Amino acid sequence: MNPFFKKLTRREQHIFSIFFSIFCMGVAIAVSFIYHNLVPDNLTNIVLIFILALVVVSRYTVGYWYGIFCCLFAVVCVNYLFAYPYFALNFTLPDYPVTFLGMAAITLLTSTLTSHLAKQAEMLAEHEKKLNEAEKEKMRANLLRAISHDLRTPLTGIIGNSSVFLENQVRLSEEEKTEIVSNINNDANWLLNMVENLLTVTRITGDNLTVKSNEEPLEEVVAESLQRLSKRYPDVVIDAQIPDEFILVPMDAILIEQVTINLLENAIIHSESVAPIKLLVENHSDHVSFTIRDYGVGLPREMLNNLFDSTVYTTSGTSDAHRGMGIGLSICQTIITAHHGTLTGRNHKHGAEFIFTLPKTIKEDGLEK
Amino acid sequence: MKARIKILLIEDDKSISRFIATALEGNGYKIMAALTGKEGISLAASFCPDVILLDLGLPDVDGLQVLKQIRTWSNVPVIVLSARTKEQEKVEALDMGADDYITKPFGTEELMARIRTCMRHRHSGTPDRIYKALNLEINFEKRLVKLEGKEIHLTQIEYQLLTLLAENSGRVLTYSFIMNAIWGPYMDSNNQILRVNMANIRRKIEKNPAQPQYVFTEIGIGYRMLDNEHV
Repeated sequence: MNPFFKKLTRREQHIFSIFFSIFCMGVAIAVSFIYHNLVPDNLTNIVLIFILALVVVSRYTVGYWYGIFCCLFAVVCVNYLFAYPYFALNFTLPDYPVTFLGMAAITLLTSTLTSHLAKQAEMLAEHEKKLNEAEKEKMRANLLRAISHDLRTPLTGIIGNSSVFLENQVRLSEEEKTEIVSNINNDANWLLNMVENLLTVTRITGDNLTVKSNEEPLEEVVAESLQRLSKRYPDVVIDAQIPDEFILVPMDAILIEQVTINLLENAIIHSESVAPIKLLVENHSDHVSFTIRDYGVGLPREMLNNLFDSTVYTTSGTSDAHRGMGIGLSICQTIITAHHGTLTGRNHKHGAEFIFTLPKTIKEDGLEK
Repeated sequence: MKARIKILLIEDDKSISRFIATALEGNGYKIMAALTGKEGISLAASFCPDVILLDLGLPDVDGLQVLKQIRTWSNVPVIVLSARTKEQEKVEALDMGADDYITKPFGTEELMARIRTCMRHRHSGTPDRIYKALNLEINFEKRLVKLEGKEIHLTQIEYQLLTLLAENSGRVLTYSFIMNAIWGPYMDSNNQILRVNMANIRRKIEKNPAQPQYVFTEIGIGYRMLDNEHV
C-alpha cells in the first residue's frame, strides 16, 4: 500500500476508497461516452476502458469489496449504456456471461494481488523493525559487556586489596597499609569516574538521541572542566587557550564537560608523558572546535581505525593494564553526535590529538530548547 | 575551653554517615547523626546544631521538605549533600535557603572547608571591609579593586557583582539570587546579561579566563568566589 494510505485511519481509508471508486467509474463512463460518440458500436474497446478503471480501483482501494462492487456496476453500466439496445438492460446477449466473468475475474485477481502486496510490504517493514531492534540490542549487549569488564577490573583490585588488609592487619607495616588503602582509593575513584560517565549518557534521550541544550558561554564550560579535572589530577599542567571574544554555544554543558574531561584524562593517562597537554578552543564561522593535544607516544596504529568502538579494547590483551579508554571514547562520540558535532582522533608529529566540534546554531530538527 | 561546634548530619546511608562522622569527629566537631528526615527535624530542634549537613535523597521525607521545615523556625547554616548531575535540585535547595551544597562524593578536606566558610559567614556580625585572596584585593569602603597592587576599573554593575560575590566568598550564589540582588526582582529570568558581565569581569581580573583563579563557575547553578583570606 502506498505511504499516503498508511497515514490514514481505517475509517478514512474506506471513505477515500468510496470516493475513489465513484471517481474512477465516473471517468470511465465519461471517456466511454466520448469514445462511443466518435466510434459507435465498438463494445470491445469500451469494455477495455472499464476493465482499466476496474484495475485502477482494485489497486488503490482497501479490500476486495470496492473492486467487486465496481465490477458489478461496470457490467450493468456497459450493458445499459453502451450495448445494443442502448439505455435498456438486455441480459440475453450471447457474449454477455463471458464479458461479465472476465471482468469479475480481473477485478478479483487485481484486488487479491494488491492486498497481498500490501500485506507483504507490512511484513517486510515488521521484519526490518525487528532487525533494527536486534541491532540495537546487540549494541546494548556489547556496551554492557564492555562496561562489566571495565568495572570488574577495579572491583577486583578493591576486593583483593581490602581482603589482604583485613587478613594481614597485624603483619603489615604502616607503609604497606598506606599503599593498600591508596590503591583501594584509586580504584574506587576510577570506578566513580566510570559510573559518572554512564550516568551522563542517560541525559541523552529518545530514539533520535537529542540533548537538552542551553546557550552556554564557552569559557565557563572550559573553566569548569579544567577545575574539575584539577581536583582529580592536582599536579597535571594543562595549557588552555580560548578565543578572546565572548561566545555562546548551545549545548548540554554537563555533557560537553564530560567529553572534555574524558579526552584530557585519556591524554594524561595514556600519553606516557608529562609534557603539558594543550587544550585549544577555536572559533570558526559556524562552529567551535576543541583540540586536545598531547605530546606523548601517540595512538597505537591498530586502534586508529576503530577508536570509537566500545568493544575493541576489551578484547585486546592490554586493556587491563590500560583500563580501556574505549567506553570513554564511545561515550564521547555519542555525546558529540547528539550535539550534531564531530569527533576525530589522530596522531600528529609528537603525540596524539582529539578534535571535536560543536555547531554554533541549533539545527531545525536537532537540539531542542 | 571553647565549646565544640555541633553538627547535625541527616543522611540515610549508614556507611556514608559513619565516614562523615568519623572525619568530623577527628577534626574536633561534635556530631549527631539522623538517619531519616523526621528524626533530623526533631534533632534539629532539640540538639541545636551549629551546622546541618542534609542529604537530599531521604527515605521518608523529601530533603527539600526537611529544609523548608527547618527554615520555618531556624536560621542555622545548612549544607546540602547532592549528586553532581542534579543541578535543578541544588538550585532549588539553595533558593530555598540552603547556605551551600557539596557534591557527592567529596573529600573530607572539601567538607571541612565548606563547614568553616558557613560558620564564618554566620558568625561575623559585621561584614568584612576588605576582601583579599591571592593577588586580588577589594576595599569595600573605598570601593577600590586592586590586582597585584594595580587598580582595576570596573563598571558600576561589574563592581556590584564582584563585591556581592566577594562578600559571600566561598559560597555558591545562584543565578537567580545574583539577578535579584543586582537587577531587582522585575528583571526577566534570562541570565545572559549576568553571564556577559561575568565574562567582562573575568577578562579584567583573571590571567586566563579558561583557568580562573578568583571566580569559579558552577554551570547550571551559579558562581562561587575564592574564599577571603583576610579574616
